[in-house]
Amino acid sequence: MKRVITPAAILATAVLLVAGCTPGSNSDSGSSDSKTFEFWSFTGINQKAAVDTYTKAHPDVRVKLTEVGSTSETAQALTTALAGGKVPDLVLIQGDDLPKFMQSPENFVDLATLGADQKKGDYLDWVMKQSMTEDGKIIGIPTDVGGMAMVYRTDLFKAAGLPTDREQVSKLWPTWDALLDVGRRYVQATGKPFLDNVPTSVFFQAVNQGSERYYGPDRKLSYDKNPQVKAAFDLALKVHAAGITAKQASWSTGWTAGMGKGDFAAVSAPSWMLHAIKTNAPGTAGKWDVATIPGGSGNWGGSYLAIPKRAKNAKAAWDYIAEMQSPAGQLAHFLQQGSLPTTPSVYSDPQLLAKTDPFFSNAPIGKIYTDSVVGIKPFYIGPDDPTIGIELLNALTSVEQGKVAPDQAWSTALTNVKNALRG
Amino acid sequence: MTTVLRPATAAKATGQPTRQRRIQLGVRERLAPYAYIAPFFLLFFIFGLFPLLFTFYVALFDWDPIGERHYVGLANFSELVDDPRFWGALRNTFSIWLLSTVPQLLLALGMAHVLNHVRLRAATLFRMSVLVPYVTSVAATTIVFAQLFDRDYGMLNWFIGLLGFEHIDFTASVWGSHIMIATMVAWRWTGYNTLLYLASLQSVPRDLYEAAAVDGANGWKQFRHITIPALRPIIVFTVITSTIGGLQIFTEPLLANPVGGLTCGAARQCQTLTLFLYEQGFGRFSFGYGAAVGVALFVIVVIVAAINYLLVTRIRSERP
Repeated sequence: MKRVITPAAILATAVLLVAGCTPGSNSDSGSSDSKTFEFWSFTGINQKAAVDTYTKAHPDVRVKLTEVGSTSETAQALTTALAGGKVPDLVLIQGDDLPKFMQSPENFVDLATLGADQKKGDYLDWVMKQSMTEDGKIIGIPTDVGGMAMVYRTDLFKAAGLPTDREQVSKLWPTWDALLDVGRRYVQATGKPFLDNVPTSVFFQAVNQGSERYYGPDRKLSYDKNPQVKAAFDLALKVHAAGITAKQASWSTGWTAGMGKGDFAAVSAPSWMLHAIKTNAPGTAGKWDVATIPGGSGNWGGSYLAIPKRAKNAKAAWDYIAEMQSPAGQLAHFLQQGSLPTTPSVYSDPQLLAKTDPFFSNAPIGKIYTDSVVGIKPFYIGPDDPTIGIELLNALTSVEQGKVAPDQAWSTALTNVKNALRG
Repeated sequence: MTTVLRPATAAKATGQPTRQRRIQLGVRERLAPYAYIAPFFLLFFIFGLFPLLFTFYVALFDWDPIGERHYVGLANFSELVDDPRFWGALRNTFSIWLLSTVPQLLLALGMAHVLNHVRLRAATLFRMSVLVPYVTSVAATTIVFAQLFDRDYGMLNWFIGLLGFEHIDFTASVWGSHIMIATMVAWRWTGYNTLLYLASLQSVPRDLYEAAAVDGANGWKQFRHITIPALRPIIVFTVITSTIGGLQIFTEPLLANPVGGLTCGAARQCQTLTLFLYEQGFGRFSFGYGAAVGVALFVIVVIVAAINYLLVTRIRSERP
């Protein structure tokens, strides 16, 4: 008797659970209010402001906004939801996480069917390309890009006898080698580090400025053969050898503390990092300014809005995308929040060009950052990009921490990437 | 319903249990205990056994949670054996476990002995305050400790600097990061174990200590010959629970060293097995490989528990 019951019970339970977990067994498609939809976003980017703007204009619409967590936590939550759970109607996906979801486009609504095919021309082509499948399905609409610039402390530059005007500072470093010379001069004059670190402030910027990153144009892995990746890596090692950095890994507690204390004078800052600098070092308001990145242009980051296939109210979610991510919508969001539009038609808008930020000595952030994303050479970003990026970054961090010899760094990095790509 | 009940009521009325009723009673009495324990086992099957078996199943696949899955047999396990990251995580797990558990239990034992002292004033205050770290959020504890151990701005390195030594980059080195995490774990659990020991100590008759004192035994001798033997069963219990907990340390390494995402440092110097599992399963979404790590962890815990069990039975048979 007992012997029969136990396996039967397990089987019954298993069947129940598996049925509940299978994608497509959509039992919760009950009727819902057509004016209500659920929206998952990241923390720290104040998506609530955009939602408030929208609901003010449409008082009959209700948006249930959930700030899930960091960008990767949001992607993790979305993965579990897609694998078998309640999915949101609208979700924000960070650019580096997108390729993973692009591998299974059947999990998302093809936005072309909702009218996105008429709007795709509004966006930067190389950004739009990332969220389109080869057969023309549109999975996501880009919400912002991560244009590049350098932020620097005018007070510390002055003390070191360097120019402080942003035009002159930008002219100091047309190339990364020139930046290295400026760094040497700064360290000689003050005895203090110039940059925060090598892996993020040098390597991650330089590698994102190339015409090809870890995948070739044929969408096959090429990180170990691509001379541009190796050049960015070698540049990072060269800057390390010059000893001009504080060796504070980005986002670590020491990085935040050092920024507040002025223990380094310059940080590479994609447009989305300005917010982090403001919140991490509020006492330094007005002491920063923004100059161009060596090399002039580049992009790191950016996000997309997507609608999961099982969404209850795809229509309401699409209406939100269509209105808030239109060129006018993105411009308004930029003026309010500072995230950089992906719609080049507004790049010459007088309001965007006139936008300044008092925290950064009234630098015209609209102009500086949009200048850095026009004329970018697009490259393919694949599903393993985040893994490869982290391993290369980690190898350089190990060099800074004195755990890996610089001449061993590249081979260590390649071994680590190979290990990380298994499984 | 009523028809079923009728014979029973009839039997009750006559006061003479029939043979049928006696059998019924016997069956009920024999089944009742199973019904009482059923809720636990039902929940255990759903939330314990099923996920466990399912993990074994998933480990045989190349499993993308939102995409395709292919049966690969034992390939995940052979990959795992060749993967230096797995062996590194195993080393880190055991090192952090030893560094946190051993000092923690010794300290708890000593503290329980002191807190049990007759002449201790405000005993309840002290006894309750050892539990404060346990009720503090792990995330908050971890963030505070990570700042204490910081290379340039941490309080610990400030003292080290005052003493004229060079700053130590705790998070960057293997030992430094292990000591840092072990400290967090010990900080959290020492008070909890102290209370367990204390509760057990309070059942030890005071006369024993008084008699020992009269016989001239000092504090250490009392501790060695009365406290420790009395605590033997509870020591065994805490060793087993802290072993199982110690092999599954996760939150501390996840939050202590944000450099490198889920790797606990650029060289994975403090990535534990559970964090490696999480990195594979939910960072890279390789459910199959992550599940294989889970199975390996399961086997390791079973082996360590078996060793524990053998040691425990030896200690039990050793009578004081």
